[in-house]
Amino acid sequence: MLCQDGVVTAIKLHDIVKTFGPVRALDGLHLTVEPGEVHGFLGPNGAGKSTTIRVLLGLLKADSGSTRLLGGDPWRQAADLHRRIAYVPGDVTLWPNLTGGEVIDVLGRMRGGLDEKRRAEMLERFELDPRKKARTYSKGNRQKVALVAALASRAELYLLDEPTSGLDPLMEAEFQRAVLELKHEGATVLLSSHILAEAEALSDRISIIRAGRVVQRGSLAELRHLTRTTVIAETAMPATAVAAVEGVHNPQFLDGRVIFDVDSDHLDAAVKALAALGVQSLTAHPPTLKELFLRQYGEEVTA
Amino acid sequence: MSTPFTGTRHLLRLIVRRDRIRLPVWLVGLGGMIAVSALLVPPIYDTPEKIAGYASAVGTSPVSYLMSGRQAGIDTIGGIVANEISQVAQLGICLMVMFLVVRHTRTEEETGRAELLRSTVLGRHAATLAGLLYGVAAALLIGLATTASMLAAGLDGVGSATYGVGLTLLGLCYAGVSLVAAQLSTSARGALGLAGTAIAIGYLIRGVGAMQDNALVWASPFGWAQRMDAFGAERWLPALPLVALTAALLLLAAWLTAHRDFGGGLLQTRPGQPRASRFLGTPVGLALRLQRGLLIGWAIGLTALGLLYGAVIPTIPDLVASNPDIAQVIGASADAEQALIDAFLRYIFLFMAVVSTGFAVTSVLRLRAEEESGRAEVVLATRIRRTSWVGATVLVAGLGALALSLLMGLGLAMGYGLGMGEWDRLAGQLGGQLSYLPGVLLVAAVAVAITGLLPRWSLLAWAGVAFVFFQVMLGETLRLPDWVDGISPFWHLPGLPVETFEPLPAVTELVLAAALVLLGLCGYRRRDVAAG
Repeated sequence: MLCQDGVVTAIKLHDIVKTFGPVRALDGLHLTVEPGEVHGFLGPNGAGKSTTIRVLLGLLKADSGSTRLLGGDPWRQAADLHRRIAYVPGDVTLWPNLTGGEVIDVLGRMRGGLDEKRRAEMLERFELDPRKKARTYSKGNRQKVALVAALASRAELYLLDEPTSGLDPLMEAEFQRAVLELKHEGATVLLSSHILAEAEALSDRISIIRAGRVVQRGSLAELRHLTRTTVIAETAMPATAVAAVEGVHNPQFLDGRVIFDVDSDHLDAAVKALAALGVQSLTAHPPTLKELFLRQYGEEVTA
Repeated sequence: MSTPFTGTRHLLRLIVRRDRIRLPVWLVGLGGMIAVSALLVPPIYDTPEKIAGYASAVGTSPVSYLMSGRQAGIDTIGGIVANEISQVAQLGICLMVMFLVVRHTRTEEETGRAELLRSTVLGRHAATLAGLLYGVAAALLIGLATTASMLAAGLDGVGSATYGVGLTLLGLCYAGVSLVAAQLSTSARGALGLAGTAIAIGYLIRGVGAMQDNALVWASPFGWAQRMDAFGAERWLPALPLVALTAALLLLAAWLTAHRDFGGGLLQTRPGQPRASRFLGTPVGLALRLQRGLLIGWAIGLTALGLLYGAVIPTIPDLVASNPDIAQVIGASADAEQALIDAFLRYIFLFMAVVSTGFAVTSVLRLRAEEESGRAEVVLATRIRRTSWVGATVLVAGLGALALSLLMGLGLAMGYGLGMGEWDRLAGQLGGQLSYLPGVLLVAAVAVAITGLLPRWSLLAWAGVAFVFFQVMLGETLRLPDWVDGISPFWHLPGLPVETFEPLPAVTELVLAAALVLLGLCGYRRRDVAAG
């Protein structure tokens, strides 16, 4: 499938439905990932992130909808497409009687070859002992084996399903560096996560999935635009008037200060209202991804 | 007030809940085999002449000593029953407690489930004690079932009780061994290996001691249990070393538990290769590596079985001459010596082929285990096609079954050759064993088809193994109708060496097996690969 500009879209899922018995794991999911981008795929546990990735890998067959991966159909052309893909599963289990080094080699060769230099470099960077039997690895070390196996291969598309679960903060930082390197080399990355800071640091664009649907998508800037800014102001006159401005939410008044959230499209009106009251200090910060995220999840509670 | 044993009761309840199917299967399976043997043997030896014949045949058979030891009261019906069931009962009870105890101690710890429980209000020794009590209870139930079966068969009361007690104490002793092994090794496989080796050594020492009739029997728990002389002098003194060793093992296990880290052990796993060989990176290489341990274990076991059976052949004519009923049991139609040997061989070929279906199905079902654990997913996310992945496992299962057939035939020929000093029948014995291979492959192919088409029901493949066992063991005794017998692929194969080889049934079964494998492959290609 070609885009208008002639570049093959890395991932294009259109209206995917996947049911397991009575459970609708994916319920009309749309997802587009452009080549060369790091795409954050965010959602709570059980939202359908892993199911989506398994559909992309051709392990599961979608009930309906169309799936395009690097221009091909992952169900029909799985093995051919997989030459161009590296995958880190969400829950890493390894063959207990193989060593970490053997697992990395086995997966690398099955994928079509390893970059020896990168293999050595990644082992070093992730401080992994390749001689240990997989049964003796901790969860974090098993995760490192899967990461090294994926990162040591040269792929066009990396599908990473919660790749940092179990890693300590130092290793998480190492992982972020590695992903940014992949990006500079022009690779595409789908990064499923519920760790917001990670997605915020790495992603060009983000899709938020909940209950089998993508409920929000766009660049971080675009998403922020859709949401509220938090404003903290100190004014000469009582700021009660601000509460009346359209788009202002949860105003709180404390010792001459006012704290409120305002929809991004009404920010201008709110600031003008404040200016009329004599601003003495003003801080405003854009919504963090966490706030975006909570807002999307928050609806789950009321829904 | 919390003690080192706090929480044992809750753990035991959890164990019983988790094993609500596994434990009954062990009890009914092992207890049932003992009970059926105990009840079926006495009618065969219904006259003093037959009993005397058994006693003189067994009393002159070194192979019987090797396998079952020297049973007291072998010239009484009680002694005969005890001798007949001892192999199944003694090895069975030891294996049962080993699997159950390790499963609820080291396996739990290795998988990390125990960690979750340890964080609750649980004493340091609670997990060990719960695993032990569970194994003890299972051993007690088997002991009781054995005594009850013997009484039901009308055997002597004191003898039956003594035998049951000896058997139970042997089980307890190896529960202690398993508990210590579970503390020593950091992996469940390692613990099973240690405890299994201890069982094999105890069994072999007793066998060699009994064969040479020397004090070596006194160096083995198997020997102590047997020297309680049920149905003979009924001595209770040999129970003392059994109890003492058990107590010492329990103290050792407790000491080890108290002096090691959670998840740790005394035996550390050796570091392995940092790089994979070229072959390992292929589906067949990986499948072979994953099944290596399984294949080696079965190869050793079945070769040894073949050797033992081969070695017993020279004693057949004597044994049968003294008891015509045995000829009837093994289906001999003529009383010529060669005909008897052929009938015995046919039975052994068939029996060993049926046993090896256990390997073939275990091997095929590894496919399902790989899928459920999520490891298949990682492989199938590479350029490996589903057909190559499944095909590689099926190939290893099939070639493994072929190799086992050859080894069983070779073992049989070696045992026979060493015993008779004749080697000219080697090719015939290899070929005879091989002629039953199509049946094994067909049972395995059913497992492939089920795994491909009905993955959730893949354990049903074991029903095939259970049925062929049932048909071979009891089909003739129960006089089943042909259509029931005919479900077993082995029933259609010519019974070498009594009958002559015909290619048609073998070829038909091979074609059918290939069709079932193809069906399974198609199913696997079309369905979701389910993880977790």
